[in-house]
Amino acid sequence: MEALTEKNTNQTPSKPPKNMSPWAIARRKFVRNKLAMTSSVFLLIVMIASFLAPYITTVDISRVNLGQMSLPPSSEHWLGTDKSGRDVFVRLLYGGRVSLLVGLACTFLIVVFGTIVGSIAGYFGGVVDSVLMRFTDFILNFPFLVFVIVLNAILFGHLSGVWVLIVVISVLGWGGVARLVRSKILSEKENEYILAAISIGCRPSKVIIKHLLPNVLSTIIVQATILFATMIVAESGLSYLGFGVPTEVPSWGNMLSTSRDPDVMQNMPWTWIPPAIVLTLTILSINFIGEGIKDALNPKSYR
Amino acid sequence: MNITINNENSMTAKTKSKKNLLEVKHLKTYYPVKGGFFRRTIGHVKAVDNVSFEIRKGETFGLVGESGCGKSTTGRTILRLLSPTEGQIIFDGNDITNLSGNKLREARKDFQMVFQDPYASLNPMQMVGDIIGEPIKNFYPGKQKKEIKEEVMDLIFRVGLPSDAYYKYAHEFSGGQRQRIGIARALALKPKLIVADEPVSALDVSVQSQVLNLLKELQDEFDLTYLFIAHDLSVVKHMSDRIGVMYLGNLIEVADKHSIYDEPLHPYTQALISAIPEPDPDRKKERIVLQGDVPSPSNPPSGCPFHTRCPMAKEACSEIKPKLKEVKPDHRVACILYD
Ligand SMILES: Nc1ncnc2c1ncn2[C@@H]1O[C@H](COP(=O)(O)OP(=O)(O)O)[C@@H](O)[C@H]1O
Ligand SMILES: [Mg+2]
Repeated sequence: MEALTEKNTNQTPSKPPKNMSPWAIARRKFVRNKLAMTSSVFLLIVMIASFLAPYITTVDISRVNLGQMSLPPSSEHWLGTDKSGRDVFVRLLYGGRVSLLVGLACTFLIVVFGTIVGSIAGYFGGVVDSVLMRFTDFILNFPFLVFVIVLNAILFGHLSGVWVLIVVISVLGWGGVARLVRSKILSEKENEYILAAISIGCRPSKVIIKHLLPNVLSTIIVQATILFATMIVAESGLSYLGFGVPTEVPSWGNMLSTSRDPDVMQNMPWTWIPPAIVLTLTILSINFIGEGIKDALNPKSYR
Repeated sequence: MNITINNENSMTAKTKSKKNLLEVKHLKTYYPVKGGFFRRTIGHVKAVDNVSFEIRKGETFGLVGESGCGKSTTGRTILRLLSPTEGQIIFDGNDITNLSGNKLREARKDFQMVFQDPYASLNPMQMVGDIIGEPIKNFYPGKQKKEIKEEVMDLIFRVGLPSDAYYKYAHEFSGGQRQRIGIARALALKPKLIVADEPVSALDVSVQSQVLNLLKELQDEFDLTYLFIAHDLSVVKHMSDRIGVMYLGNLIEVADKHSIYDEPLHPYTQALISAIPEPDPDRKKERIVLQGDVPSPSNPPSGCPFHTRCPMAKEACSEIKPKLKEVKPDHRVACILYD
């Protein structure tokens, strides 16, 4: 009898377990997704190593060491040194700090601002919607690179270099999230439970925060992972072009940009291959995590 | 024979003497149709186009009509979940047509809704206990958590849900049980009026009567007045005291249940009644089959809305829109035949 029940439960893994919130079910599905879990572990290690860099190494990252320029990897310098004699491994850790900070901060600001604008436009509709969406279109059509260069020049000296970049990217970047959230809210608010919420006396702010947002949060989270990856790439791209993080600050993008020097490109691959690999793996793992979350939140998929 | 007539008269007198809880006067609710490059309003769906009726304290008023004739829109407008385009809604002596903001929110305590779709009407992210307790939290923010939970448990018990429902989520329940959750939520504020919008049309037939019986029991217990919406005449017959028949946004006949079933006046009502399957073969009446389709509410026909399909239509029907008039005691109809 017991064996029978056991077998039965094994045969129907698709049935959601009792008493579990939709979030708990999604979490369970995510944990069972090997690729997503491996990616999470990798990303976590990269994050921890990067943010703990000052505690892991005691080397002064900015000091130029003329005696140790352009050394290939050795037991003393695991990934060698660059043209200025700085340890590449240490710079990689510190670079991760900056790149991940830019990625996380931009993603956070963009998601928060985009969600606020999108949900207000979607919920209230009418004139509010028209005004907010025209403004969003304006932001979306702004020449990004020009603005980055100009704002960088204006803000330079007022904020530390990394934060200038974060502010600039975020101010120009929320349009897509706002549009996405608006369209999701527009379709979600057609559900009768929103009418019910109004009927039982919820104020608009409560309808949005307590009823609408939890039900579109899955979309926002998936979008946030895509944004996170995009922002890390954006930082690298802008830094590579020289419009991103100030050159003296190590970031993955700045480390890659040293390969613009043909000599470095050809003869010192140890200085730019590691950041390229870490960058690629980080972005891949973020994308796998995003896919995993999407899958876990899809009520029709069961693992 | 005499006795029956007397009885009927006295009953009519009794229901008539009751006070009105709700009065709806010339209600119109139009949905704007947007189109073109600038998304301007290019027309209107006249979902509710002149509806007047009243609901008396303690009765069940049944609203019937084919799908798409504007029943839900009427119900939602009455509860001010939609704003009327024109007309007046008087609830318990107060004009609620133009209330807004906190005044409207405060007024909502007295009228609640049970929705049609047992799946879409419950927030999938909330526990059942929170769903039922939320109206209480909204209106009595000072109330102790423990007290609210006790009230919610009472409601869970009263609507016949299992006692462990409190910590579960809606997806763990069947359609019938979900409808019970929706009923408990509507009941939580002890409202005077409940609009039940086709509360059983999405349920299995075997479950329908259980939910209907629950609604009837609750009506006695909590002194409720119902606006009961349905597209199915047999369900309405079971539930209602008086019945209003809608066609294409218009209320075309209003009378007590027996008059509607035994002597329907409007040709549309007659057709609806004739379409009910008759269990007794001896009483079989001829079925009136309507020709054509229901016209679009964004471009309703001139004159009487029903004249395009009416088997008794005259020329004048396409010109004059008949008004709802009392042609017998407590029996109103909007048809040129009774002018
Ligand atoms: N949000 C809306 N926007 C535009 N038209 C609508 C909307 N809701 C309903 N309608 C239209 O209004 C008419 C009446 O709808 P409804 O009140 O839902 O009818 P019922 O409940 O009787 O089936 C239908 O023609 C429907 O297509
Ligand atoms: Mg309806």
